[in-house]
Amino acid sequence: MLVAKVFRSTMAHAVIRAIDVSRARAQPGVYAVYTAEDIVGLIAKPFYGPAFHDQPILALGKVHHVGEPVAVVLAEDPHVAENALASIEVEYEPLPAVFDEIEAMNSKAVVHEVLKPAGTFPDLKHLSGKKNTNIALDFHLLRGDPQKAFKQADHVFEHYFKTQPVLHLPLEPFATVAVPTHTGLTLHTASQSPSFVRIEIARLLGWPENRVQVKVPYLGGGFGAKLYIKTEALASACALLAQRAVKLALSMEEQFYVITKHATTLRIKSAVTKEGQITARECEVWWNGGAFADIGPRVTQKSGFTAAGPYDIENVQIDSYALYTNLPPAGALRGFGIPQLVWAYESHTDMMARALKIDPLQMRRKNVLREGRPQATGTLMRDAALVPVLERLAQLMHWDEPFDHGSGTWRRGRGMAIGFKASIAPTTSMAIVVINADGSCQLQSSTVDMGQGSDTAMAQIVCEVLDIDMGVIKVVHPDTDVTPYDMATLGSRSTYHMGHAVKRAAEHARDQLAAMAVEFKLTLNEVSIADLFKRKYGMQAGNVVGVGSFIPAYTSPDAQGQTLQATPFWMIGATGVELEVDTETGQFRITQMINLVDVGNPINPEIVKTQISGAAIMQMGFTLSEKMDFDEGQVTNASLADYKIPGIRDLPQFMHNEAVSAFEQSGPFGAKGVGESGTFGVSPAIANAIDDAVGVRLTDLPLTAEAIFRGMRIHAGQPLQED
Amino acid sequence: MKAFEWEQPRDWGEAISMLDPRDLTVRVMAGGTALMLMMKSGVFQPTRLISLQGLGQEAGAIVQEAQGGIRIGALCSLTALGQSSAVATTAPVIIRTLKTLSNVRVRNVATLGGHLAHADPHMDLPPVMMALGATVKTVGARSSRTLTMSELYRGYYETALEPDELICEIVIPSQVGRSAVYLKCSTRAADDWPTLGVAVNVKCDGDVIEKARIVVSAATEKPIELVAAQTLLEGHSISPSRLNDCAELALAQAPLVSDARGTASYKKELLRVYLKRAIQIALKGTIS
Ligand SMILES: Cc1cc2nc3c(=O)[nH]c(=O)nc-3n(C[C@H](O)[C@H](O)[C@H](O)COP(=O)(O)OP(=O)(O)OC[C@H]3O[C@@H](n4cnc5c(N)ncnc54)[C@H](O)[C@@H]3O)c2cc1C
Repeated sequence: MLVAKVFRSTMAHAVIRAIDVSRARAQPGVYAVYTAEDIVGLIAKPFYGPAFHDQPILALGKVHHVGEPVAVVLAEDPHVAENALASIEVEYEPLPAVFDEIEAMNSKAVVHEVLKPAGTFPDLKHLSGKKNTNIALDFHLLRGDPQKAFKQADHVFEHYFKTQPVLHLPLEPFATVAVPTHTGLTLHTASQSPSFVRIEIARLLGWPENRVQVKVPYLGGGFGAKLYIKTEALASACALLAQRAVKLALSMEEQFYVITKHATTLRIKSAVTKEGQITARECEVWWNGGAFADIGPRVTQKSGFTAAGPYDIENVQIDSYALYTNLPPAGALRGFGIPQLVWAYESHTDMMARALKIDPLQMRRKNVLREGRPQATGTLMRDAALVPVLERLAQLMHWDEPFDHGSGTWRRGRGMAIGFKASIAPTTSMAIVVINADGSCQLQSSTVDMGQGSDTAMAQIVCEVLDIDMGVIKVVHPDTDVTPYDMATLGSRSTYHMGHAVKRAAEHARDQLAAMAVEFKLTLNEVSIADLFKRKYGMQAGNVVGVGSFIPAYTSPDAQGQTLQATPFWMIGATGVELEVDTETGQFRITQMINLVDVGNPINPEIVKTQISGAAIMQMGFTLSEKMDFDEGQVTNASLADYKIPGIRDLPQFMHNEAVSAFEQSGPFGAKGVGESGTFGVSPAIANAIDDAVGVRLTDLPLTAEAIFRGMRIHAGQPLQED
Repeated sequence: MKAFEWEQPRDWGEAISMLDPRDLTVRVMAGGTALMLMMKSGVFQPTRLISLQGLGQEAGAIVQEAQGGIRIGALCSLTALGQSSAVATTAPVIIRTLKTLSNVRVRNVATLGGHLAHADPHMDLPPVMMALGATVKTVGARSSRTLTMSELYRGYYETALEPDELICEIVIPSQVGRSAVYLKCSTRAADDWPTLGVAVNVKCDGDVIEKARIVVSAATEKPIELVAAQTLLEGHSISPSRLNDCAELALAQAPLVSDARGTASYKKELLRVYLKRAIQIALKGTIS
């Protein structure tokens, strides 16, 4: 097997004048060195992406961000391949670059001269981008008459917020092995979307789907990083050019240049009555999408639906922009843009409550969307336990009891925040349940288990329907030769979508078994599955194959962003935080964190709890310590030593994670997704608690001790020198 | 990574003879924990590594001296250091410091000599050793010498060691009547490199401070002894105003630098607070 090592761009935006790989090719042990020129010989249009076909397999003509793959070296010895990278020479002609999302709105630097919509997903069909700009997608929503409401308002509040670039950082980085076979190509890959990989690789090669086989083992984490095409296209091209098996496994450091979470700038403005009723809201969101759109346009649109927050507001305007910049591309990261939005609207809620001298809980109670009410898109809230989640949070935090704000140099504070999310729709899942003659059973599904426990949850669904033991079920891992289509394991969609497909497949199998029993004038209660097969086939032989598929109803929003079917279900998450600030330094510790979610009926309550805590801790890292630092597009802290994810000693002293009692009428066994809900409220709950403790309002993430300290000094009239 | 030669000398003399003072790609490797990181990131590409692991147990031994001091062989692992009863009785501050120093896997192989020679200003034991008044003994091609910690550290990742000179031993003088404290202040994740390190060592007669040593690290390019602040404390008992004056002198003397962990002006505030806390804790230690 050959190992591939990638030569990456050192420029953020530049024309490639020349690439000289001759010295690298001449190194002993180097099997091949490829550039875009070689790729084009195999794939005439070597561009991929789920929203736009904007990402070249290797840079073609110009580079769009530091770290973009420009050339690749193949060798049997990884050290030989790595060393050869140093002798590749590229001549660049620098172009003006744009890094900031606000500047990208009007910048002279344009990241892509031509925009190529992919047209893959039905909800992104309208996508075209705006020529000669950096706008990949702009989503607009208008409900009621916000301008009139602002004129008549008792109070108007307007605030700006920012979130920083961060990344997924699964402890297993991206890895693909591509093997040319006599029928085509087999990929063993760390992917959350095997079906998409097959379709996209087949499209690139102009092959039918069945010539590409994609196999996915357990993943060492994903969090949205391993969606769509990551290492697969380059590994495939290398394997086909070399006609050898090729392994492309990135280092931890390279992850910083593959996919990130959108940095954002958010503006939010509300009209409020004296009593605290919100009558109008305007939201503007600028998403820093980096050099390639990846799934950013969908993040922009779907999260745009709920940018105004879980509040019953008559007049709403939302403008959301997906922007290209010369940073590494941004995609979906656990929450699909929602944590950025909740950060803004729930900080804003507390800032208004504070100004109006209304208790933050009362402010939320007064405005929260109640069951059956239309949300900003016009879609009604159904089976959305916003009120139960909020009330349970208040109860667990003893919100109505007096709170000790501390004394001396330690000040205590508490804060809460609640957010919600529309599921990604419409997406399809298929499943196959095979029953063997001895009563054992395989579930074939392309849902990827990356630690979230989907294998267990899906097996439970099959057991429940067939009334069999967990022990007799084998969950077959994604293998596109065997497991049927699934859109992807993303956006908390699997329990609901794949759960439905699996349930239907199991029901289909059960119905066939029941029909078999009827042939012998029996019911399924009277005969074991093994006996039934013996009666039918005279020996241990035969199978029953049950198939199931699911796609929810969805209606695309109209020009005003209005639709009655924005989502098949609503996800809800809230967080309450108590913390202590050392007023001498600004350092603080979270003494209590309570995370509450609505997951409908939890299929596996223990897994649900770990999903909630995992999501909350991950978001806590994005709130307190994680931040990608850039210098001219280059990441200056691209390692785990310098980019700090939380460790065990950073956890809150006390943590409580709970799913409120709820039921999703449209879900399998009343269930809906849980992977992301724990992230929603974390950042603003912490910021609100800091404000409660020391009166400092932070509007930019991450929330550092230094920022708090500087805020306290400004209050004291002794601002700290900037340097 | 490129191929390199691997040598395993039996004694210090042999190790030194394998070094090449004109070729900085030839280096000794002790635990290798710092070296491997530099090699992985491509900052250091060796042509020859000289492992010190074959030098024998004595090279890492801890010896309690009759006068109350201890001598520690350069190859003593951080784990062995943390488990030593001689260290625990002589300088318990080292044991406390090791609790949050890296992790058990690193401590099992990292050596005290490698730790002190690496000269990363964020490391924890250099300021502690400086506050304890420790010295290092070196062996070289031409001569052997003894260096104080202030003499050892020249700057950012820079020591006074010659290219063919190695640390063979660390000597900690008797700490009778002294009380030492090290405060590690991190401002991002708890296990991040410190934003600021402060080490204080005091010797008291009643409530009068006879001797004081104050060292700042991590926020500076190398660990630095804050002499003026020390002098202010010596010969006096502590009062709130003296403590304040001491902190102000320390701030004036410490060349703090901005980095991703904080601006210099913020680190100044941290130093003011942490220095006072460290002195107060150290003084409490002399009473108990
Ligand atoms: C994950 C991780 C976390 C860490 N966290 C911390 C922490 O919290 N606090 C902290 O203080 N440190 C921390 N460190 C640093 C660690 O303490 C050092 O890497 C270690 O002490 C170095 O010792 P070593 O024996 O492995 O040195 P090596 O890597 O072998 O050598 C380091 C350098 O010293 C030279 N050298 C080695 N021995 C000698 C000698 N006898 N004489 C002269 N030169 C010599 C080598 O040539 C090399 O240049 C961490 C390291 C890692 C990998």
